Amino acid sequence: MHHMNLDVNGMSYPITADASRNLLSVLRNEVGLTGTKEGCDDCECGACMVLLDGQPVNSCSYLAAQAEGRAVTTIEGLADGDDLHPLQAKMLELGGVQCGFCTPGMIMSAKALLDRNPEPSEEEIRIGLSGNLCRCTGYAKILAAVGEAAVEIR
Amino acid sequence: MAITDTPRFVRADGPDKVTGSGRYVADLTLTGMLTAKLRYAGIAHARIIKIDVSAAKAIPGVFSVLTADDVPDLRYSPVVPDRHLFAKDTVRFEGEVIAAVAAINAEVAQQAADAVVFEYEELPIVADLEAALAPGAPLVHEDWESYDVTGDTPRDRNVATFSSITKGTKEGVDAALAAADIVVKQRYVADGSHAAPIEPRGVVAQWEGNKVTIWTSTQVPFDARNGVCETLQMPSNRVRIIVPHLGGGFGGKCGFHFEAHIAALAKASKRPVKLVFSREEEFLAPDRRRESMIIDLETGLNADGTIAARRGWVAVENGAYTADSAFFPQLAAMHVAGPYKIPFVHIDSSLVYTNHQPSGSVRAPTAPQGCWACETHTDELAKAVGMDSVAFRKLNAIDTGDEGVVGQVYGEIGLQQCLDTATEMAGYGQDLPDDEAIGVALGWWPSFPGASGAFVRLDADGAGQIVTGAQECGTGAVMTLRQLAADELGMDPEDFEIIYQDTGVAPYDTGATGSQTLLNNGRAVVAASEQIAEQLKDHAANMLEAAAGDIVLANGTAHVAGSPDKSVSIAELAEVAAGGQMLIGKGSPVPPEYPEIPGMNCVGDQGVAAWAAPQFSCHAVRVRLDRDTGVARVLAIACAHDSGTIINEIAAHGQVEGGVLMGIGQALTEGTVYGEDGRQQNPALLEYKLQTFADAPPISTAFIQIATAEAGPRGAKGLAEAPNVPTAAAISNALAKIVGQPIRQLPMTAERVWEATLSIADDSGETA
Ligand code: FES
Ligand code: FES
Repeated sequence: MHHMNLDVNGMSYPITADASRNLLSVLRNEVGLTGTKEGCDDCECGACMVLLDGQPVNSCSYLAAQAEGRAVTTIEGLADGDDLHPLQAKMLELGGVQCGFCTPGMIMSAKALLDRNPEPSEEEIRIGLSGNLCRCTGYAKILAAVGEAAVEIR
Repeated sequence: MAITDTPRFVRADGPDKVTGSGRYVADLTLTGMLTAKLRYAGIAHARIIKIDVSAAKAIPGVFSVLTADDVPDLRYSPVVPDRHLFAKDTVRFEGEVIAAVAAINAEVAQQAADAVVFEYEELPIVADLEAALAPGAPLVHEDWESYDVTGDTPRDRNVATFSSITKGTKEGVDAALAAADIVVKQRYVADGSHAAPIEPRGVVAQWEGNKVTIWTSTQVPFDARNGVCETLQMPSNRVRIIVPHLGGGFGGKCGFHFEAHIAALAKASKRPVKLVFSREEEFLAPDRRRESMIIDLETGLNADGTIAARRGWVAVENGAYTADSAFFPQLAAMHVAGPYKIPFVHIDSSLVYTNHQPSGSVRAPTAPQGCWACETHTDELAKAVGMDSVAFRKLNAIDTGDEGVVGQVYGEIGLQQCLDTATEMAGYGQDLPDDEAIGVALGWWPSFPGASGAFVRLDADGAGQIVTGAQECGTGAVMTLRQLAADELGMDPEDFEIIYQDTGVAPYDTGATGSQTLLNNGRAVVAASEQIAEQLKDHAANMLEAAAGDIVLANGTAHVAGSPDKSVSIAELAEVAAGGQMLIGKGSPVPPEYPEIPGMNCVGDQGVAAWAAPQFSCHAVRVRLDRDTGVARVLAIACAHDSGTIINEIAAHGQVEGGVLMGIGQALTEGTVYGEDGRQQNPALLEYKLQTFADAPPISTAFIQIATAEAGPRGAKGLAEAPNVPTAAAISNALAKIVGQPIRQLPMTAERVWEATLSIADDSGETA
């Protein structure tokens, strides 16, 4: 068993878990934040995307222990109290959400994209989010939402 | 921006989903909960010699290990009851459950599942559809004759059900084909594919006394409940199914799957038990794969380009067991016949057992494959008679008042407008580089009227609740119910909360299947709201000293027609009503009638020859082909849909866009690959390729809105499945134009396209 302090959404969590546990499972079961989803456990779907010091990672394929000392941001850490992040608000407003299972991972990837490229072209959004599978939307409305959110954030 | 300040959005479940606070089955934890693992056969066809669970049971931390011996000994399934909860005597596909384990944690549960001793004797594998139909083929179900089948479908050996559709007579078709000026005959072969929702399914079961509550990721809560009741022999009021948020289904989560296994484990363990599938299990175990098909079509043309007759033969893969697939042969027959004016039609269609994963309702079952064959064939017909493929469709496709392929005469329909609109949007006819082409396809799909119920109530503060049996799988159909109630009551959609996906509180609904939610439950919500509207008007008439018939409900108030300031708020009326006869409406309207076709001549009729409120579509897709690699890229797609009145524009566009992308996947990359051993070789997202953000083309959509009679509220028809129907077909026709001949295999993978390109090059080499 491994003792670690995980910094998740600005709060410090003392955790005891097997050293082989992935970050996704520790976030969901020990930290108690289930917004981050598991779609494949194989780095193929992006549903488990979180930010580590601002960088997007598939948390299913990342050891929790390696996240120690780094700032983890999950979907639960995005809104400012009741105020939604523009990405969340635009996803709602423009219909980028259907079943919602890909949504947390998609939004986290989009956040990372906009943080490093505040004015992405359509093509850059498509490429930037190509690690996040969505089976429901055909991506069209997500594309629109990310585009509009980028404008709003600037 | 606060959630409450967000500009109007209709999705009531949206805030949960964008903030991560929404719960899906995998997110639930109950005190004392155990983890379940299923032990699968791992072999396609075998006689069971021994299943020994004693070693598994002895592992510390294991609470229960169940097999066929531990549950009621009965066969279930709708129409053809041919399966057990746990394999009994024979294993018929690799994902068949032979044992289920509940243990203290996932590791111990897996260890115990692996420790189940399974001895078997291999049986010959039935994999190929034609081989399965050959006389003397090994049987998937040795005792098929003893099954207690509902209805009178012809059955024979590996044929689970059989249907035909006929217009005229079989002999008439033969004669018309013999007399035709041109006859085109071809075979089209489609591989199976998967629904592949991003949420792998989960089930949690908990007993309290003799009642069980099951949280499950199903699209059809009432079906799931009925399955538990049937297999565990319980009355319906002791089984409660609750669906938290559902992470997509696409038909893959229709039917009854693993709820009874987990309920039985929870009972035996005296603990709540949870099962969550891995992605691999999601590929291998559910009885809901999209069916593979072989389609032979032979069509006779007159010299003027009109279609004289069509004969067809269809084999639809059933897989090892008959889930909800009994009606697929007839549905497939309708799709290969197509939305055309054809005087003589005969299609024979069989549902064929194999030792593969069972087929079931994946988004518009049989339609994308059937449409792909029919529409690829249609372009071949146009070419044979020397006509442009769009002009050929203009000439032959049905329009308002025309008679279709089983003799049904259609009311007002928008198929011809769909054709005009989509081809215009796509710029059909423009000059394109020689590695590009625009392919066009028509599609159709029935609506499914059925029983459905809802309650609507306004409480003392005027806040509304819709309590509905309907199931939301992401489409937004349930979310749209708020709009209907609000419209009836002159209120705002956001004045209503929706209580849904709980069989313990809501009346019956078929579930998120057959694109029927708005069609049927929409009518129920309108009916329930109408009752409340009457009550509100009576109260308002009293208070405003007017006749109830003169009261108008609008903008959250009741006012006298013509005098908007003579008004009272609905909240005030609700407060008054709460002290006496409360505002509770119940809706369960009589469903629209299915059309009758006089003299219909179909064998093994499964009720899908005559279509209620049929939906029509045309997709026109621009494709570029890299001839060196066979890689096709969809550059743009224009879609026109007649789904009747559109009630929620955003959700409707979302359905088309999602359906199209699924169609592109099915056209180009998605296909189940089987090994010689009858096992899937690509049960992972790395090998089974869904379309990504980078692959997705711009999709433009137009709705041909015809308020349809005998349909849903305001003349709406279904929509969720229809967009999945013609996409692969349109891509096929674009590829055929570029390559010079159709790729008559689905998916049209880069390898298959490349081979076709080579064979054309070879042919032209010979003639030159
Ligand atoms: S769950 Fe991590 S990428 Fe799919
Ligand atoms: S919204 Fe369902 S997977 Fe994206």
